[in-house]
Amino acid sequence: MTTADQAKLAVFTAIGALLEDKSIIITDETALLGGDSVMDSMKLVELCLALEDQATELGFEFDWTSEAALSKSRSMFRTAGSLSAEFCQQLDAKA
Amino acid sequence: MIVVTGASRGLGKAICDRLLSKGMPVFGLARNVDGLGFPSMACDVSSYDAVKAVTQRLKADRITISGLVNAAGIASMNLAVTTPPSVSQNIIHTNLLGTIYCCQLIVPLMLRNKVGSVINFSTIAVALGLKGESIYAASKAGVEGFTRSFAREVADFNVNVNCIAPGPINTNLLTGVTATQIQNIVSQQIIPRQFTADAVSDLVELLLDARSRSLSGEVLHVGGV
Repeated sequence: MTTADQAKLAVFTAIGALLEDKSIIITDETALLGGDSVMDSMKLVELCLALEDQATELGFEFDWTSEAALSKSRSMFRTAGSLSAEFCQQLDAKA
Repeated sequence: MIVVTGASRGLGKAICDRLLSKGMPVFGLARNVDGLGFPSMACDVSSYDAVKAVTQRLKADRITISGLVNAAGIASMNLAVTTPPSVSQNIIHTNLLGTIYCCQLIVPLMLRNKVGSVINFSTIAVALGLKGESIYAASKAGVEGFTRSFAREVADFNVNVNCIAPGPINTNLLTGVTATQIQNIVSQQIIPRQFTADAVSDLVELLLDARSRSLSGEVLHVGGV
């Protein structure tokens, strides 16, 4: 399994675990922010905390508060795909 | 564990001493923690990276945080027009951004456990609009606004956020304030007498206690205004 696959599995699993509607199929385009988001702001924070735990299991620290992570022109939280990409990047960088 | 900023002196030190005397575990933060005598870490709260380093240590040591008391603060009694920009920046950085940084970085440790109490500090200077304290009051008015909004943001996680606004308390923040000026401020309180750090520590204990779970987003004025 590639790092990208590992990251996507971790992120998609964490999102799925937080959704009450288990029929939702999570894809790269699944929105995490805005009107089309599948979760509210509280769930988004819970997702970050869950990903922190996942990262610890994978041997790195998932930083969702850094300037680098948050100041990108488009937030890493916009979709499941963008969050997976950021998670993967941090996994690669700290592996 | 209760994290207390500004733990080396003044109100922060008095609060630490009170909590420790009640058997509550305290983790103190201050720029200089030499000889503090309880678990602590050097930290300038106006530095985001320094606060982040604290968070990383708390996580690494698997310390459970149930409270955060943002007592670190500085003051400079001066007219706005005669206050140098560096002083204004220091006041805003320490009082307002320091409080925000600690909440941003340390509160997520409470969100995980879905319980906690955050206590920020304002001042009577905000409510009374005290002359000669405009920049200090501006920084603390920011803390009050932040407290109210942040309280809503973390309410679903069972974390309460409140603010204590003391009148003049005998600490080094009062350096340069005359007895007459203090009396003038105190006379404008509903209870017109000068309170001590003990009264503030009483409120801290109250807000850390589970019996205050119904309070959030409030500004508690010591002495009343």
